[in-house]
Amino acid sequence: MPKSLYVDPAKTLAPGKITFEDIPVNVYNKTIEDEKANFSDADFIRIFRDIAVLREFETMLSLVKTQGSYNGINIEYPGPAHLSLGQEAAAVGEAYLLDIDDFIFGSHRSHSEILAKSLSAIYKLSDDELMKIMESFKDGKVLRTVEKMSKPDSVKELAIQFILYGTLTEVFARENGLQNGMGGSMHAFFLPFGVYPNNAIVGGSACISTGAALYKKCNKKKGIVVCNSGDGSLGCGPVWEALNFASMEQFTKLWEDGKNGGMPIIFNFFNNSYGMGGQTRGETMAYDMLARIGAGISPTQLHAERVNGFNPLAVIDVYRRKKQLVENGEGPVLLDVLTYRFSGHSTSDQNAYRSKEEIDAWKEIDPIVTYRKALTDAGIAPDASFEDILNETKDRMTRICSWAADTEVSPYADFDADPYFVEKTMFSNQKVVKFDDREPEALTAKEDCPTYKKIKDKIRTATFDGKPTPKLRMYNIRDALSETILDKFYEDPTMISYGEDVRDWGGAYAVYRGMSESIPYSRLFNAPISESAIVSSGVGYAICGGRALIEIMYADFIGRAGDEIFNQLSKWQSMSAGILKMPVVVRVSVGSKYGAQHSQDWTSLCAHIPGLKVCFPATPWEAKGLMRSALNGTDPVIFFESQRIYDKGEEFREGGVPEEDYEITIGDTNVVKTGDDITIITVGATLYKAVDAAKELSEKYGMNAEIINLHSLVPLDYTKIVESVKKTGKVVLASDACARGSFLNDVARNITELCFDYLDAPPAVVGAQNWITPPHEFDAKFFPQASWILDAINEKIIPLKGHVPTVSFTPVEQMRKAKLGV
Amino acid sequence: MPKAGITVEECMITKWEKKVGDSVKLGDVLFSYETDKAAFECESTAEGELLEIFYGDGDEVPVLINVCAIGKKGEDVSSLRPGNSVSAESEPSPAKAEEVKEAEKPAPEVTAAAPGDIIKISPRAKNLAEKRNADIKAAVPTGPSGRIIERDIIALLNGEGGSGIGGRILVGEEKAAKADISAAAPAEDEFEDVPFTKIRQVIAKSMSASLSEIPQLTHHHSFDATNILELRKCVKASGEKMGLPNITLNDMILYAVSRTLLKFPDFNANVLPDGKGVRRFKHVHLGVAMDTPRGLMVPTIFNADTKSLSEIAEESKALGKAAKAGNINPDLLQGATFTVSNLGNLGVEMFTPVINAPQTCILGVCSLITRFKMVGETAKPYQAMGLSVTYDHRVIDGAPEARFAAELIFNLENFTALLV
Repeated sequence: MPKSLYVDPAKTLAPGKITFEDIPVNVYNKTIEDEKANFSDADFIRIFRDIAVLREFETMLSLVKTQGSYNGINIEYPGPAHLSLGQEAAAVGEAYLLDIDDFIFGSHRSHSEILAKSLSAIYKLSDDELMKIMESFKDGKVLRTVEKMSKPDSVKELAIQFILYGTLTEVFARENGLQNGMGGSMHAFFLPFGVYPNNAIVGGSACISTGAALYKKCNKKKGIVVCNSGDGSLGCGPVWEALNFASMEQFTKLWEDGKNGGMPIIFNFFNNSYGMGGQTRGETMAYDMLARIGAGISPTQLHAERVNGFNPLAVIDVYRRKKQLVENGEGPVLLDVLTYRFSGHSTSDQNAYRSKEEIDAWKEIDPIVTYRKALTDAGIAPDASFEDILNETKDRMTRICSWAADTEVSPYADFDADPYFVEKTMFSNQKVVKFDDREPEALTAKEDCPTYKKIKDKIRTATFDGKPTPKLRMYNIRDALSETILDKFYEDPTMISYGEDVRDWGGAYAVYRGMSESIPYSRLFNAPISESAIVSSGVGYAICGGRALIEIMYADFIGRAGDEIFNQLSKWQSMSAGILKMPVVVRVSVGSKYGAQHSQDWTSLCAHIPGLKVCFPATPWEAKGLMRSALNGTDPVIFFESQRIYDKGEEFREGGVPEEDYEITIGDTNVVKTGDDITIITVGATLYKAVDAAKELSEKYGMNAEIINLHSLVPLDYTKIVESVKKTGKVVLASDACARGSFLNDVARNITELCFDYLDAPPAVVGAQNWITPPHEFDAKFFPQASWILDAINEKIIPLKGHVPTVSFTPVEQMRKAKLGV
Repeated sequence: MPKAGITVEECMITKWEKKVGDSVKLGDVLFSYETDKAAFECESTAEGELLEIFYGDGDEVPVLINVCAIGKKGEDVSSLRPGNSVSAESEPSPAKAEEVKEAEKPAPEVTAAAPGDIIKISPRAKNLAEKRNADIKAAVPTGPSGRIIERDIIALLNGEGGSGIGGRILVGEEKAAKADISAAAPAEDEFEDVPFTKIRQVIAKSMSASLSEIPQLTHHHSFDATNILELRKCVKASGEKMGLPNITLNDMILYAVSRTLLKFPDFNANVLPDGKGVRRFKHVHLGVAMDTPRGLMVPTIFNADTKSLSEIAEESKALGKAAKAGNINPDLLQGATFTVSNLGNLGVEMFTPVINAPQTCILGVCSLITRFKMVGETAKPYQAMGLSVTYDHRVIDGAPEARFAAELIFNLENFTALLV
């Protein structure tokens, strides 16, 4: 909603029509003879060799899966094998012109893409560069194994064996694999060759690739990004979100000079006509021809083109033209690369959905046959030389398969010897204040930013001269966040921030208010209402080496980014065996007043997923210190904020919130009040209800409560909790999350186990009702109140003389609710 | 059938003390029973009429099985019958009709907690009870659903019990007890609340701790004081001339104690902080309890075993003076290994001195009483002095105490010889 773009009613309502350019379909019609200007004989032959390498790899896996042996090597492999048999020419064509700085991302069916891009990179890199890459990868461990097994006569051959071996051992879940075997067939990648993560979630790479392109664009990095996906993925919403996100008009219309222009990305759809078994054209999709959708996304029609992927030269031709466009700032581009998979979706596919004639008809034009014949016919090389290449390829594959299958040469990771093998990659736990040393780009000095000026003179405590600090002069949670975020903008040049309405609006809760005056568009921009794209582009941005601070306006919208938060953001550090870092902070606001789909506390969902850090500050001191830690870190943090308490000043910390930087360790807990008689543990805004409850406990019942706020849910250090509960013997836990499945139940269980002998009663958990959130007027009936905390204490822990309960915590009521699921 | 021990699986009923139809009160002995090692009595945990006995005299009964039912007259007890087995003694036919009739009525609330009903107690309360040797059965549960919680054990330890067995507050008594406080409270001008002084607070704390944490008991002895009285007379008459200080009977007792203790190392000892052992001392450091205007003070005569009678007398006098004046060096108020408390000159005939923790023993000195002993056929009067010895039973058993007392008495009765 920038004011510079005037929504002119006259223009908006003017009559007219939308016109389209023609979208080319299979227009390539050159012969080998025509192409001799572009390719040497060796180039032509190398293309064949690459296709052969890919074909043999997939053939080998197919045999391993279906017969348990390949060329006499026996191996049991229980994992997935989504083969791209038949699609090799398209992959080789794509990779041919891509440079090392060009990144490819892929899908579950990406073995061919990984290998094609690697072979292309190996051809382009010097021997020295290759040796350096292989020596430095996992301290040369993989290279040592390959060198031990074979003595190739060239570095390039060594590198080919290295990447084949690394990929295959990754498939076979061996420690020598590219990701220590923890990623597997669908997740292999190798950054030094520009091979970026492949994704087992259909369409999962679309938004991630977009984030990678965003990284290149915002940080002026060389190269383009190619997002490989299948035709089936166009049924997935996030893929459309990515297409739109990558094509936003602001890139050309609003972004500052030097950063404006189209996104450097090619969306490459390998169109094999099937999404698993569903036939895309004619059955499950509406587009008839995939390339058509480019016309629906933007006026550039994404320069869409449909091309014959069975002809490697046709693919190279289209890449020659489109890569140029993208490098000129005219991206994104959409390619509909036609191909066909000879094997099933996976090896358990019986091909019930297609006829034998169909498969045979495609096999007749198999590029490994037709391209070879074309080369022979054109006199590039005698047919026997292609036979030699095939034999050599098969021989190489056989040797590599035998090394990979041999558990002496290629052992599995020893979880007994190293029980922390996976654990230690769950979080990277590093402190990186900035990811680049260049000067952060800004429109003004920090001191001239309205945000800075507004906060500078505020009173940093909730009381001043013994009186409550006037609201407008009080430094609150919102200010704590703004201050820390602004500092980071001026510290880390790679940090970008986006989400819905963050720029001109200043964020729905005004955390960014004033920053648009000082932070350029490319670092602070409005995203479309596309939570999937917001989160996963952050993932892609971080994977490439930048820091992303993104915003989900309401916790309830996490569902819109379910895969992106729960499968992508959370898992990539560990799936990559620690190779990737994930410095992404996702600010999520917990709503109030806006009903059932805007008011739920979803912290528990996030806490359940391994690989995410989860915070929920409830005081300005916590907000500043935690945001600082999150933004200095290298791990994904879901940073919850409550809309109820943005205006809260610092009520607990002696001396208020320090002006200087400080970090609060994520996982620590905040003892906001000490006491001996009972421990109250809180998450989020419920802290303030607990303070009220503690007051009543003290005034009416002579009990001195200790209050511990869990500003972090994951990780969580129980030391202070255990200490407190051992002292008091009594504990009640409260948060705004619905009681069933609340993370506090997990804390309660741990307390029970850690402090059992000290407990005077089982820990009592007070959560919101297991209902929809009714309208704001009924908040007191839905969210935990101070009185509920007393009710729970009275019923479950220690009867309070004369207490009149407002809600029932009796066992009968507990059973009734559980039985009804409410 | 109560579980009389962790390894006990069944017990034999020795004899029923109640019969069907008897009314039973809380704590009444229902029956006696025995294991292969010991005999017990089972007290009722319920009130009402003894409705049915499921096992008779001589029956072996697995533990935690109902042996009888107590309730309101006419109540249906079939649900309480072990395994719903038919009681051998019951006469089925006439009861049948009655049972059917009973079944039509709404099920009455069965208050009868048959023996073996579990005691609900929080781990924290249980640990506190174990640590302080409180009988959890005597605690009044005030926690949720009848659970004994920490505060109930604290109340028990503070003596806030009822008149039931082991201090149980009986039904109805609880309210009355609480009401009494306000009803019986006199008008405000009839009393004055005086806060404890610092020293009073210290005394209160250490006395409470001693009595609640140490299993202590007292033996009372007496000895023939003829010998020490004669010596006292002699010193009084000519001591000044001989340059001796005023030596009191108490000084002599202190001296005798200092010469007796080293033979009994567990009596001249401190219990270790973890409660798992004692620290025995090589010398005797005697605490002497003194009545001062500020309250009880216990200064120490260090290395009393190396000091002469007159040295002890002089030091004890000096300590008494300083304690009374209130300017005593605090270092002298600690470090004792054994305490002597003398109330004899105030006419106390017998008392139970409270152990000054972590010491293991305290000697109370009582007043002189004229007693008689038979000398031949005649009863001969003599002056006897009482000694009350309280000891920590964790460290010291009864017989060793008796041996210690006998030695002390011997030394006192032959005091002159001890001086040689």
